[in-house]
Formats: sequence, C-alpha cells, structure tokens
Amino acid sequence: MAEEKIALNVAEKSDEELVNLALKNRDDFLYLVDRYKNRLTAYIRRLTKASPEDAEDILQEIFIKVYLNLNEFDRDLKFSSWIYRITHNQVISRHRRLKARPEGYAVDIDDAAARRLASDIDIAAATDLTILKENILKVLSYLVPKYREVLVLRFLEEKSYEEIADIIKKPAGTVASTISKAKVEFHRELKKSGLKFHS
Amino acid sequence: MDNMDKDFNQKLLNKIEEKHLAPKPRWRFLLKNWVIWIAGILALLLGAMAVAVFLYLFRHNDWALRASTDKGFWEFFFLTLPYFWLVFFGLFVFIVYYNFKHTKKGYLYPLPFVIIGGLLACLFLGLVFYKVGLGRIIDDVLGRRMPLYGEIFNPQIDFWSAPEEGRLAGVVVGATEGGDLVLLDPSGKEWEVAFMEQVGEVRLMMPEIGVGMPLKIIGEVSEKNNFQAKVIRPLGAPGHGFFTRPRSPAGVRFDCRPGDCRPPDFSGPQSYLRPHRFVN
Repeated sequence: MAEEKIALNVAEKSDEELVNLALKNRDDFLYLVDRYKNRLTAYIRRLTKASPEDAEDILQEIFIKVYLNLNEFDRDLKFSSWIYRITHNQVISRHRRLKARPEGYAVDIDDAAARRLASDIDIAAATDLTILKENILKVLSYLVPKYREVLVLRFLEEKSYEEIADIIKKPAGTVASTISKAKVEFHRELKKSGLKFHS
Repeated sequence: MDNMDKDFNQKLLNKIEEKHLAPKPRWRFLLKNWVIWIAGILALLLGAMAVAVFLYLFRHNDWALRASTDKGFWEFFFLTLPYFWLVFFGLFVFIVYYNFKHTKKGYLYPLPFVIIGGLLACLFLGLVFYKVGLGRIIDDVLGRRMPLYGEIFNPQIDFWSAPEEGRLAGVVVGATEGGDLVLLDPSGKEWEVAFMEQVGEVRLMMPEIGVGMPLKIIGEVSEKNNFQAKVIRPLGAPGHGFFTRPRSPAGVRFDCRPGDCRPPDFSGPQSYLRPHRFVN
C-alpha cells in the first residue's frame, strides 16, 4: 500500500523534480532509471544489433554517465532530450571503440508507429500489420546509421524536430533535411530489397 | 516492478557504491562553459589582431614603388602578401567557430551562419583595431623581438632585401668621405650607396636622409659592397621596429622611435645628408 502511494507520488513528479531528488539522495536516482529504462533499451536496440545482455551493459554505462553528470543537465532542455543525447553519444562511442557500424536490430514497434511511418514515408498501406512492421524494421536496418537514427527518433520514439536537434546536436534545418533524405533512402532500400508491404 | 528490473537497479546501485561515484560538482560544468567562451573570445581578439596587422602591412606596401621594380603587379602582390597573417586569421576564425559550436546552444546554429558570423566579427573588430593603431604596435613589437620577422611576419623586408635583383633595404649608419650613404642591411652587411653624380638619375622620394633612417633603394650592385641607387625611399611604416635591432659589427643599437634614430655612441658622420645632394 505504502509502495503504491510512493509510486503514485513519483509518477506525478516531473523529470526535473526527480533530478533534484536524485541529487539529494542517490537511491532516488532509481525513479529516473525506472522511468527511462524500457524506452532507452528499445532505442538502443533499434540503433544497434546489441543482444539484450549487451543492451543492458550499454544501458548501465548510460545511467552511470547520467548520474555523474546530473549537475550538467541544462534546465532549458527537456530531460528526455538530454538522456537520449547521452544514449546517442554512448552508442556511437561504443561502436567506435568496437570499430563496428551500428546496425539496427529488430525490436518490435507498436502499430501506431508503424502506420505513422508508412503514411509519412508514403508506402502503400499494408493490410497485414505484422508484415508492415517486419518490413519496416528490415528496411531500417539496411539504412546507414545517420538516416536510421533520425527515422527511429522521429517515427518510433515520436520526437519533434526540435527534440531531435537537441539529441543529435544539429541545427533543426539539418534535422529536417536529414529526415527528408532518409525517407528517400528508405524508398531506395525498399526497392532494392524487393520487399512487399502487402500481404 | 519485475525481478529483472530490480536486478538491473540493484546492479546499478552496487556499481555506483563500489566505485564511490557521485555527481560531479556543478562548478566544473560552469567552469567548462566559461573556458569555452573565454577561449572563443580570445580567439576572436587574436583573429582581429591578425586582421589589423594584415591591413597595416597591406595598406603600407608602397604600391606606387612597384612600377620602379622589375616586378609585374601580381608578382609584386604575391611576393609581398603577408600570408602568415592570413593563415593566423583563418586559424582563429576556425577556433572561434569550434568554440561557438561547443557552447551549450552552439549546435543549433548552421555552419555557414557560424563561419560567416565569426569572419565578420573578426573583420569588423580587426578594422577597429587597425584604426586605433594596433596593427602598427604589433608590427613594431614583433619587428623588435621576433626571429624570422622578415621571412614570416613581414615579407616586405624579405622582398626588399634582394640586392642582386636590384632591391636593397637597410638603415643609414653614416656617410663616406665622398658623400655616399653607408647602409646596414638586415643581414648586418654594410653597403656604400652611390647616387647622383655616378648614376645621374636618382630619384629621392623623401625630404632628407638622416642616420638611423630605414630606407629601401632600387638600383643595382656595382661592386661587392657598392650599390648604385636609382630610387631612394623611406622604408614606410611597417618594419621600423625591425630596423631598431642592433646589427652593426660595432653593436650600434638604434634604440629609438622609427625615423628619429641616433645611435648613442656612433662615431661616424652625425649630420643629416642634405637633400640638395640628390636629383629629385
């Protein structure tokens, strides 16, 4: 009962309030961990071919980095943009260390995200959602990381252009043009792969 | 919360505890931001100084004298262009750009905006510095102290130090019994510069010549240490600091303002050489 009350209380708190709590009490950092753990795991696995175990290792590195740099968090920025930025940098630096190119891994996407992506990229609507989602993930994995990343952030993580600009640290205009090129690339890869979006 | 989540959280807390990790203090991040801004502003000021010196050297390049040399316009232009200051300027514009991009919100600005902004800020400030005379001060200080000044900082010195090609620069250290100028060039070599009677067509482009005055001369080498002058002109503003360096074998030091030098213990002729000795 008491645990439920605390959980309810925490759910009402903003990210910024949780940051303040974490700065005062180390254990309260876990509230932020719980809030972002699943989202970031999915994001990591959409950007990389990390196994669940590797993704967990990366996630641990990320949360340690977040914890160490809590005082650097700029309140002008959304906390989610800041934590996604750290994740983005960590994934890139890990792959640099391993000298491997990040490759997308098939993590399931929800129906709405699949439909949104299909509609925005102007793919003929599929009757079978399972095929649509599978093929979207396949084509995404064929894309070069910079294109895959913006499409993942835009359509699967549902970030605005401004948020993406804050995450990948590029001007909003560059983000818009990268997304536009990424859509063209998506079409090209789709044609090349011969995948069909109809059942 | 399921067990896997609890495991992850516990592992994370254990790691934080084992390694005694704690959030880095806020002042470190504030300091980092300040360092980025201060380094950027310093780079902007240095870039502007480079512009001021460049303008000063370029403006006082004695373009009118080019016609008396054997060099075409572009050859003269490229031989006397102060490349060092251009490179220095480019380098500091890059540092301004780099630092600005690494400020908190710097990434939001597109590359051309930051580069053009940095360029314009450096140019504008450089023009202000030039107008208040900073270009001259920097050139004088470097001229007095920096090694390879003539080769790197002020290529005009190098250009005018080519007696075999008919260009001689140096400082007047006296006159011979016959009334010829004695000139000390940047390498420390003394030249007797003959004019008028011998050449018959010297153009003296200055009111009078005095000891300690830096000159540039167009003519030709007649003997080992003799130079036949066709045109004599004061060196112009850039490089004056350079010619106050001690160079003569006797260690005469021209510790004075440019154009107003008297060697303190100079034993040669002290009097000014009067302009009536030359044909204008």
